[in-house]
Amino acid sequence: MISVADLVINSRIPGNFFSPDVYVRGELEVGLLENRQGDRLLALPETLIQAIYSGLERETGQATRLVLFNCGRWWGRSFYTRFCEQLASYNSLPLADLPMVEFLQALQACWVAHGWGKISLDQTYQNRGFLVVKITNSAYARLAPHRDQPVCYLEAGILSSFFSQLTNKDLHCVQISCESMGADCNRFLLGLPQRLEAVENLVVNLDHEAIMQQLCG
Amino acid sequence: MTGLDRIHIHYSDCSSYTPMYPQLLSVFDEAENRYLKPEELKLVGQYVASMPERLDTYRNLRERELEVMQAVANQLQAEMPQVSEEVLERCLKNALLMLRYCALSLLLNDEAILEQRFLSWIGPLAKLYDTKAIDSKLYRLLNQQLSKALSAKQMSYLSPSLALAQESLLSQSASVNAAAQR
Repeated sequence: MISVADLVINSRIPGNFFSPDVYVRGELEVGLLENRQGDRLLALPETLIQAIYSGLERETGQATRLVLFNCGRWWGRSFYTRFCEQLASYNSLPLADLPMVEFLQALQACWVAHGWGKISLDQTYQNRGFLVVKITNSAYARLAPHRDQPVCYLEAGILSSFFSQLTNKDLHCVQISCESMGADCNRFLLGLPQRLEAVENLVVNLDHEAIMQQLCG
Repeated sequence: MTGLDRIHIHYSDCSSYTPMYPQLLSVFDEAENRYLKPEELKLVGQYVASMPERLDTYRNLRERELEVMQAVANQLQAEMPQVSEEVLERCLKNALLMLRYCALSLLLNDEAILEQRFLSWIGPLAKLYDTKAIDSKLYRLLNQQLSKALSAKQMSYLSPSLALAQESLLSQSASVNAAAQR
């Protein structure tokens, strides 16, 4: 027999932690925007993102992508930790007990609440050992200098460390389609590093479908 | 113009921040540097006049939630003995959340809050879990129990948001089922 009283933990039923109208708060009298846990939020001017791209390009040239990727990995590591802590404490559950669909939906809501665009997972190639993450409306794609290859190295870094920690495997991430090149969304391919080695060269000439066909065909 | 006019907001998009009782707040925004017009004052008066009944309804729901939902749970389990407790519990939990957001929505006279905080979250989950058959039975039992627990007047405050939530959840699961059958 189901006891309704037992379904309610501390009189609460958890919903969407990242609901934007509750998630974003501020202590505006001291000039701070914060999330509902009191962590600081910042608004970035678009020109700053453009300046970071052009400054890095001028100072480090070819190394730009590696710098951005490693910044992303760093960011992703602490993002994963914080995200898991937030979810576990909000749901009053050990994270392992939270269903994966709810975990992923929270990740999507988190992305939206921070204005990072919309993120979704494509699990078509999961049984071949690849995961495709799609992001639309990324600021890092739109504001990047236009190139003949994908430019969202920062996000590739975040995703590689986020999903490495989630799956407990060392995963690499390569972007295989980019809004800056006219694609409908940014696609990021996650997989074991040795299986992604060839992909970095393919992105210059092939679209994402052709790349996946080459990998899995 | 500098880049300042194109600042990339790196937190929630503020335009999605819908204030509580939006109609009223927009009246107050308008009144920044002038007195409210008679028709605007009337709107404020109507909301304030309805407040005691809204509060009563909210209080009643708050106090009787457990009793109402336990009755629903018992009936649901009796009608669907083949469904696992885990699945029924998930549906009941979502219904509890629905009832709480509907209560908030009636208190604030704001249906947008239901859409933003509840439907946008539970909608995709209900779709994934595909629990339409259970939910539709659950809502029927819930509405019966609520009609017993609340007065007709109180039901009239709760009904619009409750109907909105239930219709929206049932219709979207239906479209998924239809798509799957095609």
